[in-house]
Amino acid sequence: MKNILMKNKTFFVAVIALVVMAIIDVSLTYNALGNTLNQLVSMIIIVPPIFILMGLMDVWVPKETVINLMGEQSKFKGMVLAFFLGAFSAGPTVIAFPIAHLMLNKGAKYSNVLFFLFVWSSLKIPIIFYQVTAIGLYLPLIINVTMLCVFIIASLLTKIVFKNKDISLYKEKAHNMSQK
Amino acid sequence: MIKIGIDGYIIYGLTLSVLTWSFFKDKEKTKKGVLKGVKTFRKVLPIIVPLFLIVGIILTLITPELIYNVLGEESGILGYVIGLTLGSVTFMSPFVAYPLGAVLLEEGAAYPQIAGFLVTLMSVGIIYYPMEAKFFNRKAAIYRNLVSFIGAVIVVFIVLVIYS
Repeated sequence: MKNILMKNKTFFVAVIALVVMAIIDVSLTYNALGNTLNQLVSMIIIVPPIFILMGLMDVWVPKETVINLMGEQSKFKGMVLAFFLGAFSAGPTVIAFPIAHLMLNKGAKYSNVLFFLFVWSSLKIPIIFYQVTAIGLYLPLIINVTMLCVFIIASLLTKIVFKNKDISLYKEKAHNMSQK
Repeated sequence: MIKIGIDGYIIYGLTLSVLTWSFFKDKEKTKKGVLKGVKTFRKVLPIIVPLFLIVGIILTLITPELIYNVLGEESGILGYVIGLTLGSVTFMSPFVAYPLGAVLLEEGAAYPQIAGFLVTLMSVGIIYYPMEAKFFNRKAAIYRNLVSFIGAVIVVFIVLVIYS
């Protein structure tokens, strides 16, 4: 019982919150479920082709290519590629993690994968263009340049922060995800 | 109501082209690839559904109006802290958040707190923490969010210096 609770923590937290909201005002709960449904529908529309694309990449892109481009010896090239993959991608953050797994599984270096996740979350090129049109040039410029510098430094520090034990755990999880 | 949007068309177009290319090149491999994609999707779905329940709750409780009121009224250090915190916990499309930020700035809200809100909104994703911890581990999820938060604080300082 406790195990089930722990495994589905997020779900139970959500259910408790929904019940509390219903006690305060039922329309809040309806509203929240409606929002969830909207999010799910827009995800169901956009996400399936991305997974098919990932599956095709998995079978077509040879491991050696990824190791060569983004692996341990890839140095600067690997980071540049990780940047472009993150910046020119589309889709919700929820699919960034499966893609990161795919990259790890194909032999990409963890610091490059982490950098990809950083860029994906905040430096998507289409969104940067939108930011500039919505709010002017300066604020997005300050924000994005600062964040890019911080992300580069943080990715270069992965060797110090993450032990081999952590990284082999991620590789194992990535491997298990692609199996069965 | 349901919009596919430009990136949606690009994704569908790209997937269709790759699928067609793959199909003519090697049918067996294509089948294997598509099946792999479907399997991964099936594995990710049970993680996504509870996550979206939380997203639905947050969208209901933290509305653009609430953010408008809070970030428009508060100022000074407290305003910066509120901006950074709200952005970290909230889920909101940048297509809603940036125009909202522009309106707030026009009405005289301080730049640093709007900047703090907009940066953390994009880069700090407390909502994704459970998913990220499942895919990697807690350490990886904390590191990524902490680094992004520190970056946001630096942005707030830079904006504070430049705009005052």
